[in-house]
Amino acid sequence: MSVMSRSENARSLGLWDRDHEGHDVIGTRTFGFWLYMLTDAMVYAALFATFGVLSHVVNLAGGPSPAAVVHPVYAYGETVALFVSVLAYGGAMVALKAGNKAALIGALGAAMVAGGVFLGLAYSDIERLFHAGIVPQASGYLSIFFGLILYHALHILVGMVWMLVMIVQVMTRGFTSNVVYRLINLRLFWHFQAVIWVFVFTFVYLQGTVL
Amino acid sequence: MVIGQTVKKWLRFTYGIPMLFLNGCAHSGLLLLEPRGLLSDTAVHYFTLDVGIMLLIIVPTALLAIWAMWRYRRGGRGAYRPDWSHSGRIELVVWGIPLVTVAVLSYLSIKAIYELNPYNPTILARTHKAAGRPLRVDVIATDWRWLFIYPRQHIASVNELVVPVHRPIRFRLTSTSVVNDFLIPQLVGMIDVMPGMRVKEAMVVNKPGHYLGFSADYSGAGLSWMHFDTHAVSVAQFRRFVAAARSSGRGLTDTGFNRFARPFIAVGGARQVFGRVQQGLFGHVVREVMRGKVWRTPMDMTENMVRYMKQQRAEQNAGEY
Amino acid sequence: MGRLSLRQIPYQNPILVGTFVFALILGAAIVGLVTYHKRWGVLWREWLTTVDHKKIGVMYCLIGLVMLFRGFIDALMIRTQQAIAVGPHSPGYLGALHGYLTPFHAGQIFTAHGLIMVVFAATPLLVGLMNIIVPLQIGARDMAYPYLNALGLWLTAAGAALVMVSLFIGNFAHGGWYGFVPYFELPYSPGVGVDYWLWAFQLSVLGTTLGSINLIATIVKMRAPGMTWMRMPIFTWASLSANLIALTTFPVLMVCLALLASDRYFGTHFYTAGMGGNLMLYNDLFWVWGHPEVYFLILPAFGMMSEIVPTFSEKTLFGYATMVIASFAIGGVSWGVWLHHFFTMAAAPSVNSFYSVTTMLVGIPTGVKVFNWIFTMYRGRVRFELPMMWAVLSLFLLLVGGLTGMMNAFATNDYMWHNGVFVVAHFHLMVLLIAASIFGSVEYWFPKVFGFKLEARWGKAFFWCIVLGTGWVFIPMFLLGFAGMTRRLDYIPYTQWGPYLRVMLVGMGFYILAVAFFFMHLYVSLRDRAKNRVGADAWGTSRSLEWMTHSPVPAYNFAFVPQVHARDEWAWRKEQGVADLKSGPYRDIHMPGNTGVPFVLGALALALAFALTWRIWWLSGLALALCVAVVIVRAFAEDTDTVISAQDVERAERRYHDGEVVPMEEPMGRPTPRPAT
Ligand code: HEM
Ligand SMILES: [Cu+2]
Repeated sequence: MSVMSRSENARSLGLWDRDHEGHDVIGTRTFGFWLYMLTDAMVYAALFATFGVLSHVVNLAGGPSPAAVVHPVYAYGETVALFVSVLAYGGAMVALKAGNKAALIGALGAAMVAGGVFLGLAYSDIERLFHAGIVPQASGYLSIFFGLILYHALHILVGMVWMLVMIVQVMTRGFTSNVVYRLINLRLFWHFQAVIWVFVFTFVYLQGTVL
Repeated sequence: MVIGQTVKKWLRFTYGIPMLFLNGCAHSGLLLLEPRGLLSDTAVHYFTLDVGIMLLIIVPTALLAIWAMWRYRRGGRGAYRPDWSHSGRIELVVWGIPLVTVAVLSYLSIKAIYELNPYNPTILARTHKAAGRPLRVDVIATDWRWLFIYPRQHIASVNELVVPVHRPIRFRLTSTSVVNDFLIPQLVGMIDVMPGMRVKEAMVVNKPGHYLGFSADYSGAGLSWMHFDTHAVSVAQFRRFVAAARSSGRGLTDTGFNRFARPFIAVGGARQVFGRVQQGLFGHVVREVMRGKVWRTPMDMTENMVRYMKQQRAEQNAGEY
Repeated sequence: MGRLSLRQIPYQNPILVGTFVFALILGAAIVGLVTYHKRWGVLWREWLTTVDHKKIGVMYCLIGLVMLFRGFIDALMIRTQQAIAVGPHSPGYLGALHGYLTPFHAGQIFTAHGLIMVVFAATPLLVGLMNIIVPLQIGARDMAYPYLNALGLWLTAAGAALVMVSLFIGNFAHGGWYGFVPYFELPYSPGVGVDYWLWAFQLSVLGTTLGSINLIATIVKMRAPGMTWMRMPIFTWASLSANLIALTTFPVLMVCLALLASDRYFGTHFYTAGMGGNLMLYNDLFWVWGHPEVYFLILPAFGMMSEIVPTFSEKTLFGYATMVIASFAIGGVSWGVWLHHFFTMAAAPSVNSFYSVTTMLVGIPTGVKVFNWIFTMYRGRVRFELPMMWAVLSLFLLLVGGLTGMMNAFATNDYMWHNGVFVVAHFHLMVLLIAASIFGSVEYWFPKVFGFKLEARWGKAFFWCIVLGTGWVFIPMFLLGFAGMTRRLDYIPYTQWGPYLRVMLVGMGFYILAVAFFFMHLYVSLRDRAKNRVGADAWGTSRSLEWMTHSPVPAYNFAFVPQVHARDEWAWRKEQGVADLKSGPYRDIHMPGNTGVPFVLGALALALAFALTWRIWWLSGLALALCVAVVIVRAFAEDTDTVISAQDVERAERRYHDGEVVPMEEPMGRPTPRPAT
């Protein structure tokens, strides 16, 4: 067989995908981000497991009990703030679908502000506790209590910085595929923090008040 | 279980082989395989069964591998069948054999775990119904010594455990600082000794003698010297030991223990007996540690051990705790 | 400067000074060579800033090899110490009471040894090989996230560098590679050693987690058309299951270590004995990662064996589907067995029973794999070339290691020797199995990456020395296990253990020889590379996709993305007589462009970790702020791709086709257009 006819043969068999255009960027990126969120979920799972282990009576080390630590009003306010923020982010995604830059930027801004309210509430709650001498160093239970809520608050902070970056990018770039996939990933990130907050609220705050 | 027995006999024989190679004399130093206590005996019994059953699978598998490699080597006699890559029957066998083996081993393992449960070894209950009241020993691991307290006798001994043979011993164990692991290879398996907690262990010695004990879990610079002697003696000898300890005159109080528990590397041994031990010392230590009591390791003690040890020796000789 | 001062340089210790001088000379030699040959530019452009998965893989392997050497020296030092320091009358040197290492120094060595071997030798080697091979096996041009890939590499490198730095500045942790609480808490480990350990570990965790995301996404998203799940090469399957394990468990380790760090830095009480901490929690969190981790290491090794055995048996893998199922069964079960690492913690018998049984369950799929390899050789035509020799060694090591693993799994056995050297011998056989598979696959895939085979004579000498050394060292170690010897001793209190330890030290001689032969192996192979050039299909009987493209692999991997028709696509094409690579007009190929950002981030991470270790707060803050800034700035880089033009592709392909030797200066055959002479 000559080289020519061989490659003819190859062509008829479809040995090479000549129309290959590369892979779908947004799909690949968001898939990876889902995987990343899974790792974050595992981090939270480990933290919640730790919380479960460290919330027995011995873990209070004679210090304040959960009921003395958690403040339902703060937790309630934080919940409202975070859900408003998520709702606003939902609005941003609607604006993205509509291709409306201004609305998207406005919605992102609103989500940021609500996130800021969440952080502010969290800050004053923690401030209150610290003043009362309720600090992470006081007992195993308090260590994980603060560990858990601070780790979650850190996520909120990161999410807000990310939103700021996205506002700038939307303003300067418009809806490039990079910007779009980042907005989609940020949505996942932000919703996930709300979901985690539901768990924090249930296990740390609600359960705390009854224990 | 007939097969089990045969396997066991056969294996008892085989593990003599390495001993012959290495020493050619009766005492091979393979301490784990020369049990002298009820629990260690039981453990070795199950060990033998386990290994025997495993070898029944592993040895033929290894032979099969060698055979296949030899027969089907390039230029070998096996017929080359490049397309053959599946056989339902073989797959069935291939999953079946390990499955059955694991099932059998699991059964044995669970049985053994209950028989040797350190808190309540059923093997002990079965065989020692009438053996009388168990001897209680409270064990406190410090950095890096073992303190054995005989709470009923109000005595204590450091790095030396004296027990009567044939009588069940019940240990309670705790640690002052970090995790240690209590082990007497010929008598009883490992149990983690943890600060702020108490665990239990049981033991019966079958033969009078002298047995080495170790701390197995890494606990710091003094670990390698944290071994202790176990003397299994007759009841009369044990009584004499208790009496001698009582007359030694040294006492150990809760506050004295505070000093005793400071880091101490027991190079060259650290035997000591206390004739008067404060009641409830064990519980006191557990509670103190739970409350956050810590015996710190000095920053650079391990870097200049020799100097440190001279100093600690002087302190130790300075008087009672 | 936090705790850092000149006093922390251990200049009084002759061993460390010697090491330092050695490192200095080596470093100077490397810098000198690079400068002399004017390669700084090439180094930066082609390596440090690359996002090419093959080059990244090669660099992972280099890190792994360097750290393997370091870990080996540690091992040698431990063996020497244990052979000397036997009994109260044994001599002491260099300020040690017995032997030549103080407990403090000995502790650092075995800790570093363990951590390095698991995290900075085996893991980078495996990740490197997966990095190189998986995209090729699935017909992709690169990983899903090339930039992330480079970031993973440089974080791992930063971790490894931090361990090395601890040799010369301060000291390392001295309590065992997996850490102990409360021993690793501040009151009992007041020095910086544990902090080095913490941050080095944490960096590698981060790197490996990112790597696992990348590999999974690559396998899921980047397969060539026609490559259905059940046509995927078995090594790719193994990599997938391994990385799923990594993805789900490394975050747990991250938490485990972070909580310990919090205890040490903020005085919290996660793992303290008192104040409401729970020290057993550490063990749980650690081994929830730790056990799956060992399968993260061994599954790729199994995958490698599953590639090598069919190639050299000239036959399809027996029971492909079974192999896949077994890999995932192992991965799944490995999640539920961690408690077997502390059977002796006085858990209820029901708990120990449960974990004993689940642990044994792992043995089933593992056993199945052994049988499948045997039945792959059965009715085959087995050639014992070097890769196959390593694979066979792996198989036998697996038999013994599996036997001893099953012995550990039987909880009451474990009571006898849990913290003893029997366990040490068990997992060393397992890890040596992994090492053997790695060496086998380096032999196997080296020609693919570099275009020439490694020579066989020194390679065989190397192999046999490893075999002899392994037997010579580990048979006595098993016996010592039965003798009741415990782990991590720097002084041997029971003199009956002495003879075994001296025998083992002699055995280390074979390993030393092996290392020497390994270097000879590399040197001679490099020297004689012209003789050992190979084409695309280096071994002639390979079966999977990576053997379809040129050796060394061009930057774009495949000039055209292959269409996949069969499980063993390359074998299928050879059978159909359609093995020709050249066809049709070439096209532009989009490739990710090089970037220095991951390297910079790695360097910043190193600075951050170092600053945290020494509690230099201003530097920690600065490094962290810079990291964040770099990430944000990078987010604004829009045009990160490059295009390899159709002409370049054509030129490169022609060179391969004309049998031109692609020179080492273009290590991966990157088609740099050169002026006609
Ligand atoms: C059939 C498969 C296996 C079984 C049943 C098994 C069982 C065990 C058990 C029960 C232990 C705990 C022993 C103890 O600490 O008392 C153990 C320890 C260990 N195994 Fe395995 N194992 C298996 C395979 C592997 C593999 C494939 C690897 C490595 C790639 C491995 C590496 C280790 C390591 C590193 C340790 C000890 C870690 C340490 O204490 O430092 N094992 N194994
Ligand atoms: Cu394990």
